[in-house]
Amino acid sequence: MHDRSTIGQTGSMQSKVEALRCVIVDDNRGFLDAAADFLGHHGITVVGIASTIAEALNCVGQKRPDVTIVDINLGDESGFELAEQLAGGPASSPVILTSTHSEQEFADMIAISPAVGFVAKVNLSPDGIRRLLASR
Amino acid sequence: MRPQVDRGGHAISGTRRLAPPWRYHFSQLLTRPTPPLWLGIMVAAALIVAETFVVQFLGRVGPRMTFGAVYLFGVLVISFGWGIGLAVTTTLVSAAVYLEVHLAADGGLLPDNLQNLIAIAIFVPIALLANVLGARARLRAAEARRAARQVSELARGQAALRRVATLVARGVSPTEIFTAVADEVANALEVGNATLFRYIGTDLGEIVAAYDDDPPKMPVGARLSLEGDNIAAMVQHTGATARMDSHERAAGSTAALIRDLGFRSGVGAPIVVDGRLWGAAIVGFSRLEPPPPDTEERLADFAELVATAVANAEARGELVASRARIVAAGDEVRRRIERDLHDGAQQRLVALGLRIRSIQASLPAGSDVDSQIADVADGLAAASEELRQISHGIHPAVLSQGGLRPALRALRRRAVMPVELHVDVERRLPESVEVATYYVVAEALTNAAKHARASQVTVTVQADDNRLHLEVEDDGVGGADPGGGSGLIGLKDRVEALGGRIFISSGASAGTTLAAEIPCAAL
Repeated sequence: MHDRSTIGQTGSMQSKVEALRCVIVDDNRGFLDAAADFLGHHGITVVGIASTIAEALNCVGQKRPDVTIVDINLGDESGFELAEQLAGGPASSPVILTSTHSEQEFADMIAISPAVGFVAKVNLSPDGIRRLLASR
Repeated sequence: MRPQVDRGGHAISGTRRLAPPWRYHFSQLLTRPTPPLWLGIMVAAALIVAETFVVQFLGRVGPRMTFGAVYLFGVLVISFGWGIGLAVTTTLVSAAVYLEVHLAADGGLLPDNLQNLIAIAIFVPIALLANVLGARARLRAAEARRAARQVSELARGQAALRRVATLVARGVSPTEIFTAVADEVANALEVGNATLFRYIGTDLGEIVAAYDDDPPKMPVGARLSLEGDNIAAMVQHTGATARMDSHERAAGSTAALIRDLGFRSGVGAPIVVDGRLWGAAIVGFSRLEPPPPDTEERLADFAELVATAVANAEARGELVASRARIVAAGDEVRRRIERDLHDGAQQRLVALGLRIRSIQASLPAGSDVDSQIADVADGLAAASEELRQISHGIHPAVLSQGGLRPALRALRRRAVMPVELHVDVERRLPESVEVATYYVVAEALTNAAKHARASQVTVTVQADDNRLHLEVEDDGVGGADPGGGSGLIGLKDRVEALGGRIFISSGASAGTTLAAEIPCAAL
């Protein structure tokens, strides 16, 4: 677990809406950094990042984020599995799944998972995240 | 199911049945083995007495000395029916009786006149000649009998070998061949027990097939120790044929078992597969006399066929396994390339896209590089998408992540016509089976849209513990050619490499049904 609580708080385009607190779970360090930076610029505070299911549960339990963005592929672990675990239990959070793969490819698995939705990594956007959360 | 073997029915008896009855009986008379001597003596005595009465009777119509030929009848019968000793005796007794009863009646005991002398001088040489001819005929008949038996045995042996060779050539399972060989060996060599034995270690073997006269004595699958004196051990030590004319004082538990089962002697021949001693063919005899000297040679012929069958089956097994390994290795490579693309270049492009959009966000509004940066961001997004498509074509990630059901549903979503999909697969299957199934369905859907112009397709996939069955049925124009360039041939190779089969039925206008069956037992 990595503490990212300071990232994004000084973003230049601070939204008028209340800042969202977010945890990102991905096994790719380059994406984690770029995504945290990007979301920070758009008024979403990345309060923690994790690369494995165990790290993610720990991080979510501590940070109580408004949303957890979870990559479908976590190395040998599955993002769907994490979404299940975050749906109830001690560390729970709304989950948005993400991937470099298209939504169409994983549509069935996304549909049956408790995640609130999916956003492709290339289309990652604060508005999209807010829309999915609002649609719950 | 043991193949039914025709016991005892063979070529020679077949032709005999075709001959007219009289000829059959006559040839029986000539070729049958010699009846007992006492019967010969009685027959000879009876004939001589009868002939004496006949000559007595004929004596009324003419001089008895002219009827000596009557005695030749008995001489001939004995000459052809019994040995030369009895025949000559019959000749001499006949001559004596002829002389004593008839000629003496005309004169004295000795041929006291020239006529009697001539009669005897004619009768005795002719009768002796008949004796010699009879003996030669009997010898020939015996030889013919022996030759016929040999030909019959040879023919039966060859027919049995041919039947086994046909099974070997047809590539039926070794288990079936083992059973057939045990039956054929028992039949051809006329033994009560024929066993095929496979060596497991230096001192252990397993019965892989056995023929037994009732009751069964050698259970298939039983393991026997090779310690002590026994044929299996001898074959294993020498690598050559072996025989034991008696198990009387043979040491070891297996020898004791063989004695208990009532076998006295046995012969074994090695089964050598690709230069290595695989097992032995062994026959057991319960009769007193030792096995015939040609038993080793005849058994070895069968052992050679067994070796060929085993070698074939092993080669075929290796071929199937190596094809499956090649396909699995190919799948694994594709999966790894997809994974590497995903974890490497794709993630990097996505991260670059996010970075450029961060930069874009931090630029003051109305900056003159804004549109250029937007172009770069769009270009990165397009590159990302292209790479995603390439990577999906290499290996569908959803298949490794979620298995067949979500992967096939993704295919259905991509299809241009309505697809009814039934997936009844309760577990994850071996990767190559999932990949093969995915590609077969994908190709069938592509063909249904492109070639068959179908408006509706039904896909059914179900798997039990051992096999996966899949069927793709469309309502298109049909006419699919499995040998054509429709991509079906590649699918056929892929499915067959996994030990499966693929069937395509495509009428002129009745749509196309593609069915496949793939073994999917957990690895």
